[in-house]
Amino acid sequence: MSETALQMTSDAARSPHIDVTTQRTSSRRSRLADVLDRYFHITAVAPTVIIMLLVFGAPLLFSFYLSFRGWTATRSLYGGGLVGIENYRLLLTEPAFVASLVLTVIYTIAVVASEMLLGLAVATLLMKDVPLMRLARSLLIMPMMMTPIVAALCWKLLLDPEYGFVNFLIGSKIVWLGNTTLAPFSVALVNVWQNTPYVAILLLAALRSLPTEPREAAQIDGASRWQVFRHVTLPALRPAILVALLLRTIFEFRSFDNVYVMTGGGPAGSTNLLSIYTYALTFGQFDFTMGAAASWIMLVTCLALCALPILVFRLTEPR
Amino acid sequence: MHATRMSPDLIVRLRRALPYIGIYAGILALIAIFLFPILWIFGLSLKTRLQTFASPPLFFWQPTWENYEAVLATASFLPALWHSLLTAGGAVLLSLVVGTPAAYAMARVSFRGKATIYYALLMMRMLPAIAVLIPMFMLFSSLGLQNTTISLVLAYTTFGLPLVVWVMRSFFEEIPHEIEESATIDGASRWAIFLYIVLPLSRPGMMAIGILCLLLAWNDFLFAAVLTNNATQTLPVLLASYSTADSGVDWGQLSAAGMLVVAPVLIIAVMAQRHLLAGLSAGAVKG
Repeated sequence: MSETALQMTSDAARSPHIDVTTQRTSSRRSRLADVLDRYFHITAVAPTVIIMLLVFGAPLLFSFYLSFRGWTATRSLYGGGLVGIENYRLLLTEPAFVASLVLTVIYTIAVVASEMLLGLAVATLLMKDVPLMRLARSLLIMPMMMTPIVAALCWKLLLDPEYGFVNFLIGSKIVWLGNTTLAPFSVALVNVWQNTPYVAILLLAALRSLPTEPREAAQIDGASRWQVFRHVTLPALRPAILVALLLRTIFEFRSFDNVYVMTGGGPAGSTNLLSIYTYALTFGQFDFTMGAAASWIMLVTCLALCALPILVFRLTEPR
Repeated sequence: MHATRMSPDLIVRLRRALPYIGIYAGILALIAIFLFPILWIFGLSLKTRLQTFASPPLFFWQPTWENYEAVLATASFLPALWHSLLTAGGAVLLSLVVGTPAAYAMARVSFRGKATIYYALLMMRMLPAIAVLIPMFMLFSSLGLQNTTISLVLAYTTFGLPLVVWVMRSFFEEIPHEIEESATIDGASRWAIFLYIVLPLSRPGMMAIGILCLLLAWNDFLFAAVLTNNATQTLPVLLASYSTADSGVDWGQLSAAGMLVVAPVLIIAVMAQRHLLAGLSAGAVKG
């Protein structure tokens, strides 16, 4: 599984693919078929490129352009004119936005770190070849497949202060989602619950594809189980860990669905992640230009967050 | 003292079983943590309104299907289900039809700009969706496509296409060249080879990626919330409106509706598990 992901990095370096060169027997085929054949790669790739450019690429560039335009409620969308970096300046001096930015970064790091550690632990447990393990593995996939809205809904009921099961279990009346200190943790916990299996399954696949000989050799040489894990297994898992780390960072950074349903960004902005902030700005206040600027700040921050683990992994590369 | 008189054989056997006990205890704990919440909500969906608010909660009761009947009888559920099916189905079909030839060309033909297109596709998949949502909404509005199923199908296709290209390309690369080469010598055109020889061979890969695209579309809330209205909303949007309504939320019905939304997904997930794992590294499951 990680192989597909790794191809990403190794493909560019690989030699060009062997081309199945055709000896054309055009006399037997119609001209159209001949043209289609000669331009096979263009006709095959063009629809994908066109759809992605029109529906995704163009809007993306347009939002970049929008982020430099002004807008006021009294004027039409295009009445505002170009305002340079004014939108960005306003956002970055707006305490609520900066708070949301900081919250999102902390939230992403905390959630991804928890998911990685727990996922690794779960993966090593799922590695054991005991009867019924296959069943356990397929059951554990369930949370991550769940529609995030439904998962959020489940947890909203489970965390209900009055009738929720969690409070029944610990015998208290804690207000999990309505309390500014607890709400971010509750929301983070639900995300960790939903996505740890994903990390576990990714790492499990990587673990299972590792050759067993190095581990056995280390064991024979008298290494303890922890030493084997720390010095043999973990280094071999690095590529898979990096892939999981990046994917989770990208997706946790844009968390929206479940947080939106559980708290809507509240109470008092304590779970107001960037995606929720931007959503409210754009579709609540209909400030499209400011929303575009916010989403571009989000994009750049996300890229920076992703660059961090890549850099760390490069620097600590074992020789 | 029994222990001292225990036969050595039994002690050896117990000692051997010990790690297993640890492993199974761990698995049980995992299943409890990760599955119990889902099971509990399923339980709630089978309770009457009074039973859902019982304190302490009921563990044994006469299950009732009345919540499911009530949900299915509401005016908005079946239309939302229909729109969910329509958009997810449409997006899967479009992604596969458009993306598979592209993936094949990328696997077999070397041409200028291939790497650029490939990485651009991957980048697009990784960007925060909300950055395109605003202008996408404006684009569809200016085309008069706001609140239509078509707009949502197109949006979900842009989620699916990068995945199809990514996963199917590596799938095609694993098909041996020889089959296609002999067909070429026999005078078959590229498109004919693709349609009649390669495609039938790649059914498992298309199954896997089709399911992933389906999940992506089925589970999405953000795009559906913005690009649809009450007449075209999908299930996640409908559910979110249930749960954010302040008063009169019936827990049983809410749970039943939630279960109806995730049941197909969970069934597919468990049944097609092996297929799914192949595409998971593509970051497919979550939008």
